[in-house]
Order: sequence, then C-alpha cells, then structure tokens
Amino acid sequence: MKTMLKKLLFFMLILPFSVLAQNTLKGKVIDASSNQAMPGVSVTIAGTTSGTFTGYDGSFTLSKVNLGDTVSFSFLGYKTESVTYSNQDNLTISLQQDGQGIEEVVVVGYGKVKKKDATGSVTQISSKDFNKGATPTVENLLNGRVAGLQINTGGGPASGSAIRIRGGSSITAVNDPLIVVDGLPISNESPSGSRNYLATLDPNTIESVTVLKDASATAIYGSRASNGVIIVTTKKGGKQLKVDYNFQYGSGKHYRKIDVLSSSEFIDKIAQYYPDELDNIGVSSGLADDPSTPNINESRTIYNTDWQEEIFKRTDYVSNNINLSGSLFDAIPTRLSIGNTYQEGLIITDKFNRNSASLNLSPSLFKDHLKLTLNTSLSNEKNSFARTPIGSAIRFDPTKPVYDINSPWGGFYEYTNASGDLTALAPRNPVAEILQSTSTSKVNRILGNFQIDYKFHFLPELRAVVNLGYDESKGQGNPRVAKNSAVSDGNGGNKLIDKYGESSSYSSAFVNKLLDGYLVYNKEFGKLDLETTAGYSYQKFIEERYNSGNILNPTGDFSDLESTTDRILIGFFGRTNLTYNDKYLLTLTYRRDGTSVFSKENQFGNFPAVSFAWKLNNEFFKDNKTISDLKLRAGWGITGQQDLGRGRRDYYQSQYTTGTPGSQYVFGTSPITVGLPRDYNPNLKWEETTTYNAGVDYGLFNNRISGSVEGYYKLSEDLLFEAPFADGSNFSNNGPQNIGSLDIKGLEFTLNAEIIKKDKFNWNVNFNASKFERRIKELKTVNFTPTGGIGGGTGGNIQVFAEGWTPNSFYVYKQLYNADGSPIEGAFADLNGDNIINGNDKYIYKNTDPDVLLGFQSTMNYKSIDFSFNLRASIGNRLYNNVDSGNAYTNSLFSNSIISNVPTSTFDSNFTSPGNNVIFSDYYIENASFLKMDNITLGYTFQNWLEGKASVRVSAGVQNAFVITKYSGLDPEVFNGIDNTIYPRQRQILFGVNMKF
Amino acid sequence: MKKIKLNVLFILGSFTLFTSCTDELNVTPKDDDVFLTETYFNSPSSYRNGLGGVYANLSLTGLNGPGTSNISGLDAGTSQFGRCLWYLQNLTTDEVIWSYENDPGTAELQRNTWTASNPIILGMFSRTMAQVAFCNGYLRQTSASKLSERGVTDASLLADIALYREEVRALRAYAYYNLMDLYGKAPFNTENDAVGVAGPEYNRQQLFTFVESELLAVAQNLKAPRTNEYGRVDKAFAWMVLAKMYLNAEVYIGQNKYNDCATMCSNVIGSGYTLEANYLHNFTADNHLSSEMIFTLQSDGVFTQNYGPTTVMCNGQVGSVENNGAAFGVGGWGGALRLRKQFVEKFQDGSFGSDERKTIISGSRPIEITNIALQGQGFVLGKYSNKTSTGMNGTNQTFVDTDFPLFRLADAYLMYAECAKRGASTATESQGVFYINQLRERANNSSVNNISSSDMTLDFLLDERSRELHWEGHRRQDLIRFGKYVGGNYNWAWKGNGSNGIAIPTHFKLFPIPSNSLASNPNLTQNTGY
Repeated sequence: MKTMLKKLLFFMLILPFSVLAQNTLKGKVIDASSNQAMPGVSVTIAGTTSGTFTGYDGSFTLSKVNLGDTVSFSFLGYKTESVTYSNQDNLTISLQQDGQGIEEVVVVGYGKVKKKDATGSVTQISSKDFNKGATPTVENLLNGRVAGLQINTGGGPASGSAIRIRGGSSITAVNDPLIVVDGLPISNESPSGSRNYLATLDPNTIESVTVLKDASATAIYGSRASNGVIIVTTKKGGKQLKVDYNFQYGSGKHYRKIDVLSSSEFIDKIAQYYPDELDNIGVSSGLADDPSTPNINESRTIYNTDWQEEIFKRTDYVSNNINLSGSLFDAIPTRLSIGNTYQEGLIITDKFNRNSASLNLSPSLFKDHLKLTLNTSLSNEKNSFARTPIGSAIRFDPTKPVYDINSPWGGFYEYTNASGDLTALAPRNPVAEILQSTSTSKVNRILGNFQIDYKFHFLPELRAVVNLGYDESKGQGNPRVAKNSAVSDGNGGNKLIDKYGESSSYSSAFVNKLLDGYLVYNKEFGKLDLETTAGYSYQKFIEERYNSGNILNPTGDFSDLESTTDRILIGFFGRTNLTYNDKYLLTLTYRRDGTSVFSKENQFGNFPAVSFAWKLNNEFFKDNKTISDLKLRAGWGITGQQDLGRGRRDYYQSQYTTGTPGSQYVFGTSPITVGLPRDYNPNLKWEETTTYNAGVDYGLFNNRISGSVEGYYKLSEDLLFEAPFADGSNFSNNGPQNIGSLDIKGLEFTLNAEIIKKDKFNWNVNFNASKFERRIKELKTVNFTPTGGIGGGTGGNIQVFAEGWTPNSFYVYKQLYNADGSPIEGAFADLNGDNIINGNDKYIYKNTDPDVLLGFQSTMNYKSIDFSFNLRASIGNRLYNNVDSGNAYTNSLFSNSIISNVPTSTFDSNFTSPGNNVIFSDYYIENASFLKMDNITLGYTFQNWLEGKASVRVSAGVQNAFVITKYSGLDPEVFNGIDNTIYPRQRQILFGVNMKF
Repeated sequence: MKKIKLNVLFILGSFTLFTSCTDELNVTPKDDDVFLTETYFNSPSSYRNGLGGVYANLSLTGLNGPGTSNISGLDAGTSQFGRCLWYLQNLTTDEVIWSYENDPGTAELQRNTWTASNPIILGMFSRTMAQVAFCNGYLRQTSASKLSERGVTDASLLADIALYREEVRALRAYAYYNLMDLYGKAPFNTENDAVGVAGPEYNRQQLFTFVESELLAVAQNLKAPRTNEYGRVDKAFAWMVLAKMYLNAEVYIGQNKYNDCATMCSNVIGSGYTLEANYLHNFTADNHLSSEMIFTLQSDGVFTQNYGPTTVMCNGQVGSVENNGAAFGVGGWGGALRLRKQFVEKFQDGSFGSDERKTIISGSRPIEITNIALQGQGFVLGKYSNKTSTGMNGTNQTFVDTDFPLFRLADAYLMYAECAKRGASTATESQGVFYINQLRERANNSSVNNISSSDMTLDFLLDERSRELHWEGHRRQDLIRFGKYVGGNYNWAWKGNGSNGIAIPTHFKLFPIPSNSLASNPNLTQNTGY
C-alpha cells in the first residue's frame, strides 16, 4: 500500500492540480541522536497522496497542507513520527532509530557486531563518509581515512594500488590484505587485460568498507588474515523506491614533469662538454654552413621539443551511475545499479572504460525466518593500454623533431645512420613508441553470492547460514606493434628488415568458488548474552592463462597455455561472543585452516584468538554527561600466511619442468625439449603472526567527539622467506623456506569530531594518525639479502633485508663531500677501514617506511552548501631517486655515439658516470615526506527540485590539488621506495551532479 | 512445512560436507609444461630430454627464455655458466675491461677488489653447484632400482641410459673441477644424498682426487672422440679436463703432474682433431663445425637463446665509436668491452702484422684507459662474430649462434708444449715447438712467424696462450700457474684498482665462498684472507 502511495506521488508530478486553498509547511528532519540532518525522509499527509522527501540538509517543503492534517515522517530503520498541522513555521522533527538505542553496526567476518560491542580493531567507513571526488576504484573510497591503512594508487587510469594494513607482516610472501566482497574472499591476482583486480568493481555500488586490523578481528579468516582483512559490502534494496543518479566529469592534466634540459640549455651543455658534437644538434637543414656567421650553424635545423609534453595529454573522466532501489512486488527489496566509468590516462592513448550492472535481491520469507540474499555484479572492463616510455622522453634529444617525413620508421624521427638503420642502444622516439603500438583488452567479470539465512522456527535463537559465492573473470587482449616501429620485436638487428612487427593475443580465465555454511546461536541468559558461530568454508581458485606469442615472429609460434595449479582452502571456524551485563565482553575465535599450498603433513594450521573489552562507561560513567562512551579492549591472536604467489602453489612437490621453444638444447642437428627438476621444499609450512592489541574507544559529549587510541605488537615467525638453499642440495640456490621473524610495533589514533553542530552550520572532522616500526628480528642464514631492483645497470639492488633493520632498508655507500659540500664522484667512506672501497663498505641508511602517517578529513555544511577536503601526510619515508641515479650524468649527454638529454639535476652533482658504485651512493636517498591534498569539493544542493519531489546536488572540486614535499623528483609517493620513473598522477578538476528522487 | 525446509538445509549441509573431503587439498600440476617427477619419467623419451636438461644448464639460465634463471642472487642473464666462467677467468685479468661498472659485481672483479658478497662470484658458485644437483638428480632418477620400478626393460633404452649416466658423471666432475680451480673447495653432494642435504666441505685435494677418479672411470665408457653427436661429451672431453687438472696440479695440490698432463694432451691430439684452416672460424656463428672443437657451450639465436659469453662478447666488442655491429652480425651494446693496454702489447711486436689472431681495432683510440666509463678509451677487439664462416648473419642479431669454444685442439697443443718445457718425460720440446708453429702458420698463413726452441720460454708460452686463447676462459688460471696473478710480479691496468695496476694480495688466487653459500651451509668455511 505504501509503495502504491509512492507511485501516486510520482503520478502527481505529471498531473499537478490543486483542489483546495492550501498552505505550505517547511521544516527540517534530524537524527535524534546525532542531530545530523537526515536526507531522504518521506514526509506525507495521512489519508492523502501528498508528500515529499527531505533534501540533503534534511529540509523539506510540503505544499497543500490543510490545518488539522496529520503529517508523518518516516525513514527505514527509524520510528515514524506524526505531527498535526497547526500553521507551524519551520518545524524541526527529530527521528529516533528503531530498536534499542542508536547503535551503529559494523560488518565483521561471518556476521555483524554492534560497534559498541566490538572487541577487536575494526574500522568501518560507510557510503555517506566515503572520500569525495574521483574514485574510479573501490580502495580510493577510503584512502587516508583509516589509521594504519596505506593505499598507494598508481598514476594510470584505474590503476592498481598497493594496499598495506599496519605495514605488512610478511617479508617476501604476499603482503596484500584479504579482500572480502559480500562474504566472498576474492583473489588478488589480476586477470590478463585488467588494470587490477579491483578495477571491475563499481565504487558506486558499495555500501560500506570495513577494515579489520588485529588478530581478534581477523582470526576468523585464519590463514589469510595476517595482513588484515577488508570487507566490502554492497548496497541493498529498501522498502521505498529511490532513484539515485550520479554524474561526474573530470578534466585532468599532469602538473609536474621531470626537469630536463630545454633545447637551448641542451645546446649550451653540449657546447660545454662535447663541443665536437655540436654538429649533431638538431637535424640537417640541407643548407651549407655560412662561414660568415660562426655562431650560427645554418646546416642544422634545431627543434625545441619537450618530449614529456609530447607524450602527455589532457584527460577526460566521465562517470555515470544510476541506482534504483525499492521493493519488487512489494516483497523483495531490490537494488539495481547501472554504471559506466570512463577514464583517460595522461599518456596519449591510455584509456579505461568500465560498464557495470549489479542487482541485489534480499527477500525475507516466513515472517523473517528465512532471509535470502542475492548479490550479483556484472562488469565489462575495456582498456587501451599505452606504453609508458617516460625514460626515453627524459633522454631524447630536445633539438630533434617528433616527426621526420623521410624516416622509414613510420615517419617518426629516430636516431639512425645514413642508411636509416637504428643506432644501437640509443633511446627510441617515445611518441613513436606510443603511437606505433596498440594494446586493447576486454575483461568480463561476474561476481556474486547467494546467501540463505534461516532462523529455526522451533528454535529462533539458532540460525543457519549458507553462502555460495562465485567470481569469474575472463580477460583477453591484443597487443600490436607496427613493423616499422623502432621498438618492434625483431631478430635483434637495427635495420627495418630486421623487424617483424608484433601481434599477439592473450586471454585468461579465473574462477573462484566459495561455499560457506555456519550456524549462529544467540540467546540471553539473564545478564549474559551469548552468541556462538560455528561453520565450515571451502574455497577453490582456478587460473588459466594463454599467450599466443608473437605470431609475426618467423622463427616460430611460441604460444603457451599456462594453467596455474589450483589453490584450495578449507576452513573450520568458530566464534563465541559473551557479553555480561553490557559491561564485559569476551570474544573467542578459532579457525582450523587447510591449504593445498603445503604438503599433507603441513596442510592444516590452527588460528586462535581471544579478546576482551570492558565498557567503562557502563561501569563508572553511566550518567556522565561528558563521557558518553569509554571502552577498554585487549586482544591476542595468531593468524597465518600461505600465499607464496601464483608460481608457488605446489612448491612442496617434486616436479619436472620442460623448456620453452627458445630454451632448448641441440643434440646432433635437432633441438630437444629439455626437462629439468624444479627446486622444491617439502617442509614448507604456515607463516604465523601473533598479534597483541590494546585500545581504548572513547566518546565524549554524546559522542560528538569519538575515536580510539590503540597500540599493537605483531610478531611473524617462520616467515615464508626466499632464502638460499645450501648449494648443491636443491635444484636452485634459493627458494621459499620458513626462516626468520619480523616484528611490528605500532600506535594508532583516531578522532572524529562534530566541531560545529548548529541548525544551519555543521562541521565534522576526522583525524587519524599512525606510527609503526617494522624490524627483522631474525634471518638466520640469510642476513643481508639484497632486494629492491633498480634501473641503470643490469641486476642492481639498492635495498636489503637485514637483522635488526626494517625490511627494504637502503644498503648503500656513504658519499664523501668536498669542503664546499659538493659530492665527490665515486668517493665513499671506507667504513671498514681496510683501505679498499668495496662491497664491505656498504651500510644501512634509512628505509622506505614512514615514521608517521596522518589523515585529515573535513566536511562542512552551511545551509545548502557543503565543502569538504581530504589531506594526507606521510612523514619520514625515504626514496631512492633512480631517475637521477640512472640518468643524471654528464657522460649521458653523449654516449653510444649519440647525444641525449639529461635531468637538470646532473649539474647539481656534476657526476660523469654511474660506474664504480656511484649509482649505489646514499646521495640518491632522499627524504620523501609529503602532505597531499587528495581532494577538495564544494557542493550546492537544490532541495526542492521538481516541486520538492527530488533534490539535486551539484559539486565542483579538485582531485590531487597540491603536494608539499622536499623530494626533488616527480612525486614523493612511490611504492617500495624506488623512483625509477613512475606514471605521473594527474590533477583533475571535477564537476558532479547527484539527483535523488 | 518446517520439515521440508529442514530437509533442504540438510541437503545443502551434506553438499557442504561432501565437498569438504580434505583430500581435495592434494593438488596436482595442471600446466602442460610441468610434471610430477614420477609422471615425467613415464615417457621413455624423458631420459634423453632429462639428459638434455643437464647439458642445457651449461647454456641456459632458465627454462622460460633468456631472461629467466633457476638460480637467484644476481641478474638472470648474468647467471649463465659460461658467462660467469668468463667473468672470473678473463675479466679479472689483463685481457679485458667492462665499461658498465654499474652492472653489479663487475667493478669489483675487474679492479680485483671483490668480496664474498659479489653477485657474480655467487653466480658461478651457485650455477656450478646447481649443475652438481641436476647431475645428481638425473643419476637418482636413472638408478637401476628406479628403472626397474618403472619397468624399463627395453635393452636399447637401457644401454642409452647407461651411456647418459656416464656423460652426466663427466659433467659433474667438470663442475667440481671448476669449483676446485676457482674456490679451492666445495660442498660435496652425490646422487646418494637426498634433496635438502647440505654437503660436507671437500678441500682442493679431496676434490682433485674425486674429479680425477671419476673422469678416469667414465673415460673408459664414454664414446670415442668425435663419435658422439654434437652437443654431447666424449672421451676427449674427459681427457681435456684431466689435462687441465694435471697442468695445474702444482697449484691445486702441490704436485708435479706434467707427465700425466702431456699424456692426456697426446690422447686428445691423437684423436683426429685437426686445426681449422682459418683461426677465426673457431669464433663464428657456425663454429660448432670447426674441426678442432672438442666441446662448446651452445648458443643459438632461435633454440638456445642466452646471455652467455658469446652473446656478450659479440655484442660487447662492438665499439662505441666504430658502431661496427653489422660487421659481426649483431645490434651491439655500444662499447661494453675494451682491451687493457697490457693485452694489446702482446701483439705490438712488429712480427704480428699478419697474425690473424690479432683482431685489435685501434682507430684513433688512445691505448690507455684512464677512466673506465669512457668507452672511447682503449682498443677494442673483433675476435668473435655472429656471422658464419661464409659471411651470413646468424639467425638473431642479439642472441648469437656462436658457440663458446670451451675446449679446442689449440689448447691441447699449447698445454703439451708447456709440459715439455716444464720437463715432462712424456713430451718433447721439439714436438711442442712444432705444435706452436702449427698454430702460428695457421694464423699467418705461412711460416714467417715461426719460432725455434730457444724462443719457447715459459714467459713466451704464457703470452702465446693469451694470443691464441684470449677471451676463451683460461687467462686467470694461466696467470696463477705462472705466478703472475697475485702480488706485484705483473701488473696490468686497473689491477688492484690502480689505473696502472698495483699488487693484489695472495689470497686473491682463490675467490671467496659467497656469503650466501657460506651462510646456508654450515659445513663450509671461508677461504683464508676473506
């Protein structure tokens, strides 16, 4: 009946007529507990078809009200309020939440818990609090919002992110957190052709994201929980029909370039360092040099090409999404969402496009005894990947043109000899490299789950839940390179005829199946509230990839079908929550997990956790006006790690591997397919992380100020570490072994404050700070393992894993400086005093981890205006400037018989070459602390659009507004601490429209 | 009604339990290139393919192309066996300089300042010990009991496998020979040790004894010289390794074994090998056809792509100024390799004007290298080529078709002459002079540059070995044997990190045990001085 009313309300939009002399009622609806404005509240006149909804700021205007009419205010989850109209002016209605109190519920593993009853470290961000601005992928919704959560998103369109919770508790095993979408843990492997494994999810469909940080929260996910868990919950349908349309447009541009010499500066430097090469500046003009003008060389035409400008462009970003939610047949809460996101990358041909549709049905049957939930999302991702020849753009001679009509290389200028053969080892024209290659891909993904939740009729305290999940991605793509491209595949020669061109196709099929079943028993025994969950989980990951190889290669078709060994996980889990007198809370969790990654003897691991919380507010501050919430909590637990990456899913097995067609050996006259035993380790077992966590959740002034403070200690033991085997004992000198331990100590602080809470003006801020310190406690045999590969040499490493130090600490030579503070090329401190400068003189200098991470978010509402921004800072993180260490040498102005450009920083150090360990100098380790304004948004809401039937919010903002840093390179935010040219992040100007009916 | 619903739940629950069978956790590989070891040997051809794998480890770094490696701790391509051998035996001497010192490990090697953490020293140790492991793995999989377990009864297959096993033992002995020469010790693993067992340390004497006895034993059963198919070893291979051991026995075990060396050389020389008419045809894209080749490390632009020594030398010798890659059939790596002055001087006497072994390109280059990073300094070489003897380009211009001449007849000639000079009773100086003149006549196409027996001094022999065998992986060993490597008897440019060369300590005669190898095997001890 109610739905019918709504439908008629819409009908009224089309047939406006008035029968009686009527008045207009204006007012505002707020949440009784938070005093926050409540948008979307239904305002109706009882017994009529008149009605409206509240707008963004909670205000409404109801026309055609007669004296004595009963006006009702209703909202899902709140008690309906009714008021009799008596000519009130500016009515303020506060709605009380349904049920006991006003408690926020957070999603945890296999269930939900009231936020106030959570005993572990759990942070939930729900849709109303998500980051504003351009958020093409899910993780962007919460960047900078959760203490201890680091998200480092690449610069490409819908680029993947390195996500780390509390720094990562493994060293060489996978450090990604587990991501669970509606109860289905998803694989962190990206299907071929996809930007990343989260790129197919439309952020518009997300209701909330919960971050589980400590073992007591994550242990229910046992073997995959050591790096934390991120639970993504999609939006569900409601009772009332709601239409929500979102549009966003962004225009982006690169805001910084790597500072290299301009054409004229370049000529000056060539004149200074390589005067003989001045004849090679620019290109031949066909004229003779006029001897009467000694300062002008008429035989050369000199261009002024900014190669970075040539490869970057202004970008467009368009996002459209329509969300329909309501109740189908008045019985099935349904949500349908359809969206499209289009994002261009800065590099001229780089594009990402995603079409997505999702449907959620959540009917309840038999008086809510049987709840069925179906979540499905379909997406189609299409990409045009561009090559990223940023290194060539830095090095290419600025006096050369982009195009050369006579060039056999597709009309692009290239370094060649007189007969048009490419110069060996010269940089290749970056514009040509991009435009002469294409790489398109298409990925279809279906992700969904079906959950049956049955509350027993004869025993309503007991529920049985079965959750079936399915995730399938199919990707395919076709990279191509023109035959006349200088970067085309070929036989290694430098002539046009040596090039084959490239054409290949690849595809992949990933399937992830889940079956969970669990029972939940919940009953109150006097003051004791008991909830017990016990269940079983089965999950299987199947991956298959195909690559055709270059079909234009005349020497053979090297196609390969790669089938990754299945990964199967089986878990038995249980959890008990005991609450006594709403003061003392105890959570016991246990999971026994089996994995196919280890041998039969080591397949199973046990992961227990215990946590305890004490609600001090209910004990000591029951009626205290100041302290509204105070909870002490402490937890302990063990979680596991078994993910060695996809090539190592059967590393415990003795196997033989055969050589690819290019890796054979000739007996007599014909090659044979060689076979060799692969290294293996039958003794591999779980890496285990023990976590201790203690914290205080606080709320002051009726929770106008709230937050938490917590500290933790994590110890990972039996690390799955890539360590040396005793030479000769295995079929490699290195492989994963359970060696060593790592500990992490950390502190986290969160503050949410409603600084101003007035009728017309609200100001909320969120501040979070975190600090963690990771130390390798023990590495046994493998102390000082090099890591962190760099460019500018073959196989160089700049970092190390060493006992007593943070993983990925920089391992470098100590630069010596002369009296005026300039570095002396190749002069390093003889740290061991043996009068020889060699590898024994390296030392550990700083690391990539930040000392402190800060996030600050502010939201203000004044009348119909809203203003928000997000600030994020990282302090104390160091970067190795590999752009400089790989390129900034005066020798690079002329090498391999061609002249090429260098960064302007070359003339700060005046180093001549990277040889003899110059490249491994601590001179290149820079402080990369930064403060970033991720987003600023200003919005205005038109409350009474279409006669109050809809509201429209328009907004404008800037994404990536500014960066404050001392780092001399392009961008201080580089994952893993090695800046070897990154895809630049764009600055975007955004416009958005949001309509709600 | 309730019951129906319960039944539904029961069915769902049972489904759950059925799929829960924990045997599901025991997975098998699905990829078509990966086999459980037992499955792999179900096929009779696997014995030959497995043998191919053991041989391939001399050429390939990994099974998925030249950029992959089955050992780690250094760049994949650099971990190639021949390349590591070449870096240790040649780059650490007067014969060559590597321009790109930002390639880890190269600066320490060519400046003789290496440490136990040097990645290339690790690469050689690990690659060679991986060869030992591959050999042992093969021997375990082909043991009599395994074969009968698998029901291999085909007599001809069993005979083939028996020969394969002998060849594998020869390759394992060769691996231990290299460890003995370079490191003076090694962990000792045989097919009797299970996977995972850290071998005990064998010192030089123990290794010498083992390698000698193995080679003498397998030499009985290996195929006669020049009768095995290309790519596989025969008796002459075993004799060459034995000759090398005996030649250096004074260094290794303090015993004079020149008599045995000369005997082995005579065995080789008498096996039907003849000098290839053109010296340079030993270094071309079709050099496996050379009549003096005893064993090569394979390289092929299509089938056996690797960043091994011939790919490095063909590309690396291309001059940065000359840009002469086309002359060698390669794209070239702009001036990666250049010559040190002292090597150039070996050919500077006027009598080498017509010597084909002198492939030095001087142009307008200065002979001195005062700054290693400047590729225009120092002369360059043109010895290796990816063109065939008839001037055709190799199949690929990066990955060359040129095999690395690990052992060739000329070396046996020179070793014989040296034994004679050093008083071996099984050799005569006149025959030694004859062999040297054979090499000189081949190089000069006439007897114009022949020597007489009075010319054949030890110093002459050392220099002549360099003239004939430079860049072929012998130099360091030769310099040590002649007492000219460590100390200050003979200094070359950048020796000991001085541009004119300075003395280096005695312990540099041996390379250190790599720190990773030392740490992962508690049985190993570090060499004195490191």
